[in-house]
Amino acid sequence: MPILARLRSFTNSFLHRTQRESEIAAELRSHIQLRADDLERSGLSPTEALRLARIEFGGIETHKVNIRASLGLRLLDELRADLRYATRMLRRSPGFTAVAIASLALGIGSTTAMFSLIYAVILHPFPYAGADRIVNPSVTDEAHPQVPTWFALTPAQFDIFRHAKAIDSVLGFELGGLQTTGGNLPEDVRAAYITGNASTFLGVPALLGRELLPSDSAQGSNQSNVIVLNYDYWRSKYDGDAKIIGKTLQLNHIDYTIVGVMPRRFTFTETVGLADVYIPWTAARAPGLLPWIKLKPGVTLAAANAEFQSYLDQFKKETPKHFPANFHVNVQPIVAPYVHRTGPILTLLFISVLLLPIVGCANCSVLLLARGEARQHELAIRSAIGASRNRIIRQLLVESLTISFAGAFLGAIAAYWLAKLPLQLMPGTFPLEAAITVNLPILAFAIALALATGLLFRLAPALRISRPNVSQIMQASVADHSNSTSKRGLNLLIAGQVALTLVLLGAAGAAIAGFLKITVVHLGYDPHDVMAIGIPLKRDTTKNRPARTAYINQLRERVAAVPGVVSVAVSAKGIPPSPPFNGAGSQAPFDIFGAQQQPQQLAATLLISPEYFAILRIPLLAGRVWDQAENRHGDFVAVINRTLAQRYWPKGDAVGHQLRVPSLKDDGQSLSVASPQSGEWRQIIGVVADSKNDGLEKRVAPEIYVPYTTFMWDRTQLFVRTAAPPLASLHAIRSALASANPDQRTETDVAVLDDVLQYQPVWTQQRLFSILFSFFACLALILSLVGIASTVSFAVSRRSNELGIRMALGAERSHIVWIVVKTAFVAVAAGVTSGLLINLTLQKALHHWMPASVTAPWILAAVTLLLLVSAAFACLLPARRAANIDPIQTLRAQ
Amino acid sequence: MPDQLDLMQGTLDMLILKAVSLGPLHGYGVLLRIQQISGEQLAIQQGSLYPALFRLEHQGLLATEWGESDNKRKAKFYRLTPAGRRQFRAEAHRWNCMTTLMAGILSTTPEEV
Repeated sequence: MPILARLRSFTNSFLHRTQRESEIAAELRSHIQLRADDLERSGLSPTEALRLARIEFGGIETHKVNIRASLGLRLLDELRADLRYATRMLRRSPGFTAVAIASLALGIGSTTAMFSLIYAVILHPFPYAGADRIVNPSVTDEAHPQVPTWFALTPAQFDIFRHAKAIDSVLGFELGGLQTTGGNLPEDVRAAYITGNASTFLGVPALLGRELLPSDSAQGSNQSNVIVLNYDYWRSKYDGDAKIIGKTLQLNHIDYTIVGVMPRRFTFTETVGLADVYIPWTAARAPGLLPWIKLKPGVTLAAANAEFQSYLDQFKKETPKHFPANFHVNVQPIVAPYVHRTGPILTLLFISVLLLPIVGCANCSVLLLARGEARQHELAIRSAIGASRNRIIRQLLVESLTISFAGAFLGAIAAYWLAKLPLQLMPGTFPLEAAITVNLPILAFAIALALATGLLFRLAPALRISRPNVSQIMQASVADHSNSTSKRGLNLLIAGQVALTLVLLGAAGAAIAGFLKITVVHLGYDPHDVMAIGIPLKRDTTKNRPARTAYINQLRERVAAVPGVVSVAVSAKGIPPSPPFNGAGSQAPFDIFGAQQQPQQLAATLLISPEYFAILRIPLLAGRVWDQAENRHGDFVAVINRTLAQRYWPKGDAVGHQLRVPSLKDDGQSLSVASPQSGEWRQIIGVVADSKNDGLEKRVAPEIYVPYTTFMWDRTQLFVRTAAPPLASLHAIRSALASANPDQRTETDVAVLDDVLQYQPVWTQQRLFSILFSFFACLALILSLVGIASTVSFAVSRRSNELGIRMALGAERSHIVWIVVKTAFVAVAAGVTSGLLINLTLQKALHHWMPASVTAPWILAAVTLLLLVSAAFACLLPARRAANIDPIQTLRAQ
Repeated sequence: MPDQLDLMQGTLDMLILKAVSLGPLHGYGVLLRIQQISGEQLAIQQGSLYPALFRLEHQGLLATEWGESDNKRKAKFYRLTPAGRRQFRAEAHRWNCMTTLMAGILSTTPEEV
């Protein structure tokens, strides 16, 4: 009870202050009156009695202050007074206030934006219940330990696995490609079959209708033909139709009833591939299940790994093909792939963005120190009439916190927009489920930042100017009491600012140079007006190779006949400039006939039809390309690129030699079909020019081209060169494919080769770095210039008297300008020197974090020049004022 | 100094609680009552009375009410709340224990050690 009463009385006295005040006054008056009455009774005259009572009682105001102090309200009162005083002071110098607030708002805004991005991407990316306990079913293959692989379970295994002690619950799912039927053209639909416990496991309610329920998955019931749509699919295919529930969607000739639409943030399972629709899992629909495992609270990953290992060892005996030969369980939180992919980028950006509030703080300190000189007089007076040092420091801190909080407020608003920038600049890198919003942790972060900056930029100046030498200052004139310590502090701050700015400029320069290098890189192929269309093929267990070859060729010819199509080629895997991905990695070992296998004798292998070179305009340097008969046959021929030819046949006699690629051998998998001697010796019949095949930023890798018929999977790709922009012909091409086979679907995402370049991770990443670093560096530069300009301009106003005398004695204008600029110049020079040193030491680290960046002396030289020129302007503009001082005026003013 | 001040404060609070426990009083009345029951031995500083009264009210130990004094003056009257009464009993008990203890200690002679 007392605590509550105290709180009530506290808020009362805080909120109803005036009422409380008058009540206290009334009580004290009544006390004096009562005392006076007593005195009067003892024989004094009424006036005399009242006078004596008043004298006895003392000052009413003092009593009031004591009372409020005894209630613990005094601090609040003083703070309120400080705040009022601070706002009055700040309003009196709007220029200073605006610059200070803007400096902090920029710094706090960018840092908060970056933090909210990190929060959204790494700390809280998924909308699922208990998302931090959900782990991917990943195992580490001892043969390829770099990238974890996932395991799938049979329904029986899934049922056993569910009962592991570490497991809270398991969600099983399987992805599959379906196509719409009953409409005009078959369209590809990506389906996720999910087990009945999905709604409780994920805990995300449907936007419209309902989620899938356990009853939907009941064996053999007709109820299982229900479907839930993904938000994006609903928007794009149904225009966000609100009355969609209850309608039917026909997929692979089966009618599904649409029962729900999921909300936007729900994009399960984009960690492995986006799904357009969610369908109840049944054994008939999907043979296996990928488990998403929600661990019990408190179970460590190590404990889970240890327990799962014995389960999986058992499962491996039943289904050896589902697991690598040698593996250990290595479950990962579902956020791990994103941390892996974006962690370094975000760390680098966060570290560099932290420089901004520091520069902003330095700027505020510079302004305050410069202004502090002017305030010495005021503070000396306050100190002379009895203000304690603590009181003055507190007053100054309240002032600076007012500035910081105003800055934080503006910064938080700016952050809301800024945070979305990286997402737009780097699509596909961040989890789609991450929602960038301004929420409590982020606001707390901004406020913490405001407090930190407020203390940081104010404490040093406050400590210094709160100890004014009263007698000296009071005697001196207002304008003349600069001392050397404050100048040194000021110069240090300016130098620090300049150094940090140069660091950011250096990073920006390296990022931009790296980006430019990527954009002007020589591709070696012509991506204009070419697109790649992915074509899933029906699983053909008969392994009838001639039929599959003929079918692919038929599709190719149908598409080639479409008006507007210039030519068509088959390329089974890979889209330049990325490496063709073959399970184990992009490059595989190969042998040269009659030569010893060298270490690292690796090459990328591309399975193509002979038209490929013409379509991408890759010139033939020597020999020839295989013909159609050889293409059907598949064996015995190969074409290599220039890099490979030069490395092993430097004399230019590659054509006619033989090589073989063991990884092309028939692997016995049900999905693939190989030519009889696919892994045997092939004659090099031609050499083509190099084209980028290992990412934009890397050198061209050795590459071997072989006919696509030598090894075929259940998917192929058509490269189509068109006369006009390629997407315009897409509908006609799809119709042509449907005319060859009405059930032949095509993959939804078509890769236009020009666009592919801009989706290269290194391209987007480097563009992001370039833009953000330039942005950061520009902000830092502006802040530093403001800092430099304001010191010079304060120096001018402070020394106008001295300058006036010098001019009266005949000093040249240029000399006057030099006097004013000199101090700032020394600071800038020191800053540039240390900035250059920091840059040089950081170069290695920068290269590690931003591999595609270019660090070269000329870049540093260029940014240094930029900094120096702009700093010179920042000095000279206010210094010109010094040169225009009228000596008579200033001398008279004294 | 703070130790002494704290002690004084605690004592003043107890004196006020005692004075008010005998019946509702206004501020000046509290002053008079303490003087009276201490046999004019204790004179409370007028400056420290009101801060103490407000603090006790703030702590919920005293309740206040505006009323009329004996000589028809408007005055604010203080009376004990139940919490105040409990607090006073506890304080008084502690004080008594302490004084007995102190008296015992101070009257100890060398022979008793």
